Amino acid sequence: MRNSLHKWILGVAGVIILAIFPRLAGIYYTNVFLGFATFALYAVTLNLQLGYMGVLSFGHAMFFGTGAYATALALTHIQGFPLLPAVLVGGLAGGLLALILSPLLVRVSGTAFAMLTLAFGQLIFVLALKFREVTGGEDGIGGFRVPPLNIPGMVSIDMTNQINFYYFAVAVIVVCLFILWFYTKTPFGTLVVGIRDNAMRIDYLGFKLPQTRAVNLIVCGTFAGIAGAVHALLQKLVSTVGVLDIQTSFEPIMMAYIGGVGSFFGPIIGSGVLRLLEDLVIRFTERIGLVNGAIFILVVLYGPTGIVGLFHSAKAKWFHKEKVS
Amino acid sequence: MNILETKGLYHDFSGLQVLFGVDLQVQEGERHAVIGPNGAGKTTLFNVITGTYQPSRGQVYFKGKEITGAKPHELTRLGMGRSFQITSTFNRLTTFQNIRLAILSKKAIRFQLFRKVDKMQDITRETDEVLKRINLDRERDLPAGMLSYGKHRSLEISLALATDPDLIMLDEPTAGMSRDETHHAVELIRRLTEGKTVVIIEHDMDVIFSLADRITVLHYGQILASGPPAEIKQNQAVKDAYLGELEV
Repeated sequence: MRNSLHKWILGVAGVIILAIFPRLAGIYYTNVFLGFATFALYAVTLNLQLGYMGVLSFGHAMFFGTGAYATALALTHIQGFPLLPAVLVGGLAGGLLALILSPLLVRVSGTAFAMLTLAFGQLIFVLALKFREVTGGEDGIGGFRVPPLNIPGMVSIDMTNQINFYYFAVAVIVVCLFILWFYTKTPFGTLVVGIRDNAMRIDYLGFKLPQTRAVNLIVCGTFAGIAGAVHALLQKLVSTVGVLDIQTSFEPIMMAYIGGVGSFFGPIIGSGVLRLLEDLVIRFTERIGLVNGAIFILVVLYGPTGIVGLFHSAKAKWFHKEKVS
Repeated sequence: MNILETKGLYHDFSGLQVLFGVDLQVQEGERHAVIGPNGAGKTTLFNVITGTYQPSRGQVYFKGKEITGAKPHELTRLGMGRSFQITSTFNRLTTFQNIRLAILSKKAIRFQLFRKVDKMQDITRETDEVLKRINLDRERDLPAGMLSYGKHRSLEISLALATDPDLIMLDEPTAGMSRDETHHAVELIRRLTEGKTVVIIEHDMDVIFSLADRITVLHYGQILASGPPAEIKQNQAVKDAYLGELEV
């Protein structure tokens, strides 16, 4: 009872903070926050592979980038393309790419999976770079207009207004995070965790391994695509460097590890920490990668369970609660 | 009726011949032990039957249907369960979650994405019942990897049993257990496999002669003898190859 009350209070407080955030923080930090939020969603989808199913992807940016490109292309080439479908097109593109690659990707794990995703990630990157007629090459696609949010017969909300867009983007991301959180709680979600611990036994328990892995991959691809779509709408510019490059693939891995793999909220916290840090470090030096890298090494060496893991063990220590995570 | 039958089963590991035409027959409802010295091919026979390996020659029949080369999940769905010699559980999941996966499989809940598993009362109830029956209800929320060796082995066996198979293949269920733990494990197996067909690999002669209805002796990849325990005890070839020095 007390626990559910806690959750309610936390939830209500979260909603209030999200609602008044633009008034409190101003337009600059509102956009910083949106950058954090899209990457939080993106990092969560990576963690569903890494922490939940136990495979490390070095090419996760391909889903994010494909989603971003799909949304940008739809908005550039189709006159009057509405806003919600534009976001969904991104998800669809990411999911479709995952579906196409799944026959290969679900049959490997460990290092082979990491290398294969790295190869496909780079392939898509180079493809986007060279296929200039469509993707604009290095310049990317820019200058598309973010369409208004039309609710037929009711209102049309102007999305070029940054505050309006903030509410829209946050709503999309919160809904996606809720769906993914729910996903981890379903019977299928427990199955995915079972694969991480012992794939062979899952097979012997009567579950189809490749199909189960494929569904998880497609779910991750779809929601990474949606994160990419929101990113495209936020930046109003999509180019290879920034959505498809190797840096974009590595960032969510760092976020997941720093926040805590295996915990649903770990990558969100990791994303927040990295973004805050970036904002601080940039005032002193341009070498953000150096600081991020050092922190990543420290986390791997001294706190492999990440911030969430450290928090849990500290809680267990201080309150003498017997809890094993 | 034979629930499980192999005909002329051969298997080799890139040249190293392990099974030489094994004809195993297991009748429905019996407890059938497979014994033999180390390296006789007992576990390989299990692996070929349960789909880990493909046999290089020969056929396997289960419930009268040919299942040669079928995949593990297909066999499980047909009603075959197996446990492993080397404990193979979901070590970072709790005991409860381990068994729950087996219960989900038994109920054919595989791609359920629209309900929370914690809210599925029938699944929770059934899992708790299983935990009680295998005396692991006190370890319900402990990660499987933190269980004591004996309890971990019990969980291993129970994972195979919890899908409610018609044929249960147990690969050395009491491997590495203390005398006491072995006693408990045997009781557990006896209790949980009531009325089911069991094929069991064992080294412990006490376990075999107290559990088994029929025994098959495997020696260098071939069946040396097959019959009721009393008959096997008297068999001269078996005595020479395996039992002789044990004086049973």
